[in-house]
Amino acid sequence: MPNIIACCKWVIDEAYIRKGPAGALDFSTVDYKISDYDRNAIEEAVCLKGLHGGSVTVLTAGAPEAAKGVKDALSRGAEQAFFAGDPSFNQLESSQTAAILGEIIRSRIPYDLVICGEGSSDQYAQQVGPRLAENLGIPCISYVQKLTIGEDGRILAERRVEEGVEVVEAPLPVLVTVLPEINTPRIPGVRDTLTASKKPVVAIKKEELPPVGAARLQTMGMTATRMERNCEKFAATPEEVARFVGALQKLGVIS
Amino acid sequence: MPGVWIFAERNDLALELLTVAGGLASQTGVKVTAIVPDQGDQADRCIAGGADEIVLLSPLGEDMSLAAWIPVIAAEAKGADPDILLIAATARGKDFAARLAARLDTGLCSNCTALHREGDGTIVMERLAYGGTAVDRVSCSTRPVMATIPPRTFAPAPADTGRSGEIRKLPLPPSTPVRVIARKTKDRSSQDITEAKTVICVGRGMEKEEDINIARQLAELVGGEVGCTRPISEELHWLPDDLCIGLSGVQVKPDLYVGLGVSGQIQHVTGIRGVRVICAVNKDENAPIFQAADLGIIGDLREVMPRLIEELKKATGR
Repeated sequence: MPNIIACCKWVIDEAYIRKGPAGALDFSTVDYKISDYDRNAIEEAVCLKGLHGGSVTVLTAGAPEAAKGVKDALSRGAEQAFFAGDPSFNQLESSQTAAILGEIIRSRIPYDLVICGEGSSDQYAQQVGPRLAENLGIPCISYVQKLTIGEDGRILAERRVEEGVEVVEAPLPVLVTVLPEINTPRIPGVRDTLTASKKPVVAIKKEELPPVGAARLQTMGMTATRMERNCEKFAATPEEVARFVGALQKLGVIS
Repeated sequence: MPGVWIFAERNDLALELLTVAGGLASQTGVKVTAIVPDQGDQADRCIAGGADEIVLLSPLGEDMSLAAWIPVIAAEAKGADPDILLIAATARGKDFAARLAARLDTGLCSNCTALHREGDGTIVMERLAYGGTAVDRVSCSTRPVMATIPPRTFAPAPADTGRSGEIRKLPLPPSTPVRVIARKTKDRSSQDITEAKTVICVGRGMEKEEDINIARQLAELVGGEVGCTRPISEELHWLPDDLCIGLSGVQVKPDLYVGLGVSGQIQHVTGIRGVRVICAVNKDENAPIFQAADLGIIGDLREVMPRLIEELKKATGR
């Protein structure tokens, strides 16, 4: 019966970021969410537990406000959580996140399988999973769209690669990163949210961990992406559609 | 030893990386090393494309994964200490790069879309963040500076057949616990949409799977290919994954893009940034796609499409 760890990240919901003048980004009205593909990671862990038994632990590191995300993750079917919260853990870089998660797993959580989303909704650097596998010294299988645990305790995974699918197998323990295609994450109900608040959360203080190294990448500046387009609008009437086609011809994109 | 290294699992991508590597290396007068699989005339083509040294990876056994090379390349990089290491951002390449960066304890700029050297020698790399809402400019304080570069970000390096270079071969690495037991090549959906001159994109605003035929009809009329947004391939499975356009799908750069019932979420819009003319048809006049489009028709697809097809037939004489 596998002990499964699902890693997740509490991120800014990009839909609430407003673009200010001169390429500025306005974060003043943002809301937060569990990173999209981490929901698939948690769902996959919970589904595998449904099939094989075992346990599902969610693990996250972030600012203290990420406690909300821990509760959200628990409402999705995990039975316990480990949470390293500290103001300095806001906006961690991939190498730092992997180091913190690796330390917590090695020292505190027995596991057979670690599941991460393929990338986070905010940075989408797609590094924490592979870096964490290296940190733990276990094999990494990334971009997985189908996952099975065999009778023999081996894992069978379909990875999506450019030319198609690569089917791989490996003995546990293993780390996988999952694609959104792998499942449809459940939407927690009221009861799930209520039970989530009763589930155990192991809080880990920064002081209990070895010092976190410096970020390997430094952000020098962030600006809003610009899309300078004409934004010309047409109605659905026959005359307007004809004018639209005329405009396409003038631009030389139809012939 | 200073130098710029590239690693790509395919020759066409190696040539794209050589365009960037060549530019960076010439600024400081260092050599370019290309690490590539030993296939056909790969080495000669990389030398013609600007590489000074070729490190060939012997063909792996059928059941071995590309990741088997990670410890070998890590040892090579630790020994030679290059300044910069660029890796083609295929699925396997991105996985490879992140694990290599962990072993070298250095920073990695993922999906880097632009990079240049500042006056003080700092390499500044650009990447998208927040689903494509923002451009993040980063630098790396450790060696080597690493970046993964998405396919088709740069043009392939032109061939100069007069160049020469050194070639050496790495011995096969030991096998890893991960065994590849099958490789399935997907049926390419007629044509690669990344190569198409016109792309007709199907979005969630399409009500029925049969409605995709309208998109196909339009594509046929203007000589284009059909693509889709993430919900169409991922949730509804109406079209295959390789037709999904966006941040986590493919990026397209055709002359003309027409979004049918596409709402215009930032992740999708990020995949069409390089299109010359963006058009959209959507019944919701507040759909974000209209902010990202050059020309937009506000209206119901069922009403607009017959008229659009009729007018296009008139205009193109088909």
